[in-house]
Amino acid sequence: MAEIDSSGGGKKGGKKRSKKMSTKIDMTPMVDLGFLLITFFMLTTTLAKPVTMQLNMPDKTDTKETSPVKLSESLTVCPDENKVYYYQGIPTDAGTVMQVTNYSETGIRKVIADMKAKVGNNFTIVIKPTKKAKYRNMIDMLDECAITNNKRYALLEIDPDTEALIKRSGK
Amino acid sequence: MPKVKAKRHSVSLDMTAMCDVAFLLLTFFMLTAKFRPEEAVTITPPSSISEKPLNTKDGMLMVSVSPEGGVYLATDDQMAREFMLERMANRYGIAVTAEMKKNFMSSEIVGYPLGAMRQVLNMKPSEAKALSKGIPIDSANNELSYWVGYAKLSNPELKVAIKGDKESNYKVFADIIGTLQAQNINIFQLVTGPENKPK
Repeated sequence: MAEIDSSGGGKKGGKKRSKKMSTKIDMTPMVDLGFLLITFFMLTTTLAKPVTMQLNMPDKTDTKETSPVKLSESLTVCPDENKVYYYQGIPTDAGTVMQVTNYSETGIRKVIADMKAKVGNNFTIVIKPTKKAKYRNMIDMLDECAITNNKRYALLEIDPDTEALIKRSGK
Repeated sequence: MPKVKAKRHSVSLDMTAMCDVAFLLLTFFMLTAKFRPEEAVTITPPSSISEKPLNTKDGMLMVSVSPEGGVYLATDDQMAREFMLERMANRYGIAVTAEMKKNFMSSEIVGYPLGAMRQVLNMKPSEAKALSKGIPIDSANNELSYWVGYAKLSNPELKVAIKGDKESNYKVFADIIGTLQAQNINIFQLVTGPENKPK
């Protein structure tokens, strides 16, 4: 047992001494309690603090100051539940091809990085999550923009034309 | 011939060092512990590489989305909370008693339609969980818009944070964004879990 030994010093002479009380304390319950509390705090504490990403949306009441984006410099991505659709151009155009990829490192990230290398600084990503998309998919997409260092992106509602294009592509 | 006696070892060992470590750890965990505010539902946000910590200095208005798509509202600004209750009750002609106000102030979140407000506030917060299914945000009955409007009226500095469950539908998020943008709130803090940056 844990104990504090204080029986120091030998007997010297024949001095009269008061009876020595034992200073040994049984520390077992204290240690028990200590570990119980440690367990409790370890289980309730959250070490991973939440982080935030800021999302700025355009002011709807502000009509001026729009910067036109060239079609050739933009890429439209439609995050779906398990895959990402992407295309370039106008959805109603016959020549527009809907392509599909995934959320992996070699998937959408590579597509965006390649496009950015080709187009340059004016590269704009238009994000139109599909109706089936989860919140996680949208965050993943915004994250991809951050990873590939793209500051120019817009979050839009999906339009019927794009939905039709996805349907037509059959992917 | 004397018998050989096995030397007896003492069974008592010195626990002082262990005790020291235990209490050091205890102190550490006690000081770093931050209790999770009570949530009506468990929300697991998705993770992102963002490194900005959640800034709660100037007051925060947190809109949470449960996996089922229920919308909940919470704020750490007590003045704004009181103001919201007063105005919302006033708007829908609900007489607020002292007991109801106490229950409102002690519950962390708002997550019920106004129709159920009287019933919910007459219960203890712990008992009202079953009724907290979320604030209606459909266009016919957009109560979130009023709640947020009154909170912003009380404290225009409130920052709007959105904490969605990763499995919640994107549509709910789009509706919330739409509701807030109609009130000219255009900057949102999206709460996510931390994630390592890819190389």
